[in-house]
Amino acid sequence: MACVSAAEPERQQKIRSWMGMTVHNLYIFDRNGSCLHYSEWNRKKQAGISKEEEFKLMYGMLFSIRSFISKMSPLDMKDGFLAFQTSRYKLHYYETPTGIKLVLNTDLGVPNCRDTLQQIYSTLYVEYIVKNPLCVLGESLQSDLFSSKLDSFIRALPFFSVRAA
Amino acid sequence: MEDGRMRVKCNFSGDQKFLENGRCVSKLESMGFRVGQGLIERFTKDTPRFKDELDVMKFICKDFWTSVFKKQIDNLRTNHQGIYVLQDNKFRLLTHLSAGKQYLEHAPKFLAFTCGLVRGALSNLGVKSIVTAEVSVMPACKFQVMIQKM
Repeated sequence: MACVSAAEPERQQKIRSWMGMTVHNLYIFDRNGSCLHYSEWNRKKQAGISKEEEFKLMYGMLFSIRSFISKMSPLDMKDGFLAFQTSRYKLHYYETPTGIKLVLNTDLGVPNCRDTLQQIYSTLYVEYIVKNPLCVLGESLQSDLFSSKLDSFIRALPFFSVRAA
Repeated sequence: MEDGRMRVKCNFSGDQKFLENGRCVSKLESMGFRVGQGLIERFTKDTPRFKDELDVMKFICKDFWTSVFKKQIDNLRTNHQGIYVLQDNKFRLLTHLSAGKQYLEHAPKFLAFTCGLVRGALSNLGVKSIVTAEVSVMPACKFQVMIQKM
């Protein structure tokens, strides 16, 4: 399990501009819509439905939004759907050419997370899942190494801070 | 598989898997043996003869391991009576697999080829041996070399 080191609180105080920002949760979907991975760090409210339904809901929304955007865009599309935000949180989206979709919910103050998601894909997913011959692609991710590296990665992000309960 | 042995059909797929696993592991080991023989010829074509067995083992731990895995063996132990234990704390074929006990039962498949590699290398240096490997916590693993006196 990732450990929040003793230096963490000091670092938070130093990075004043990022105070109070946080990452809520992360979803990873594959090309066929199955949820490969889900982690949460600071989720205060649950969806009220089962996890399976939640994943289906999330994937369905992404699918619809992407198709909506490509149809209704008044200009030629470049990157497509990037993020949406509400008054409480922001949802960042990144899709790889192979169809792996990463969804990250964060605080409002966090700017574009595309690079972060791209990094999660290339340094974590590719390294510890794709390069692991025992991981069956398309099934929910079992590798403990991946989960612990992902956890440390998220906790080390400059805009991650553990809110006092 | 045509190997002259009577194949017993079992209803337990677990047993068949176990037998096939053993066959795969020994096949990998023999492939590693042939590759090790070839590699050691290429790596030592310009080096002088080795003084003794220990010198050979040091070469395997340093130059050979570096050429194949881009790092050296972390620890070499011996009882000076023909048994050597090569310890690699971050074995390159296991680093992306797990950082502990997960997938431990699959680790032998990834070590078999390397055991053959070491055995083949030693064989072409005139040292007959038996090489086995053990893993308890990944990615660290130990290769045990038992020199066979001819």
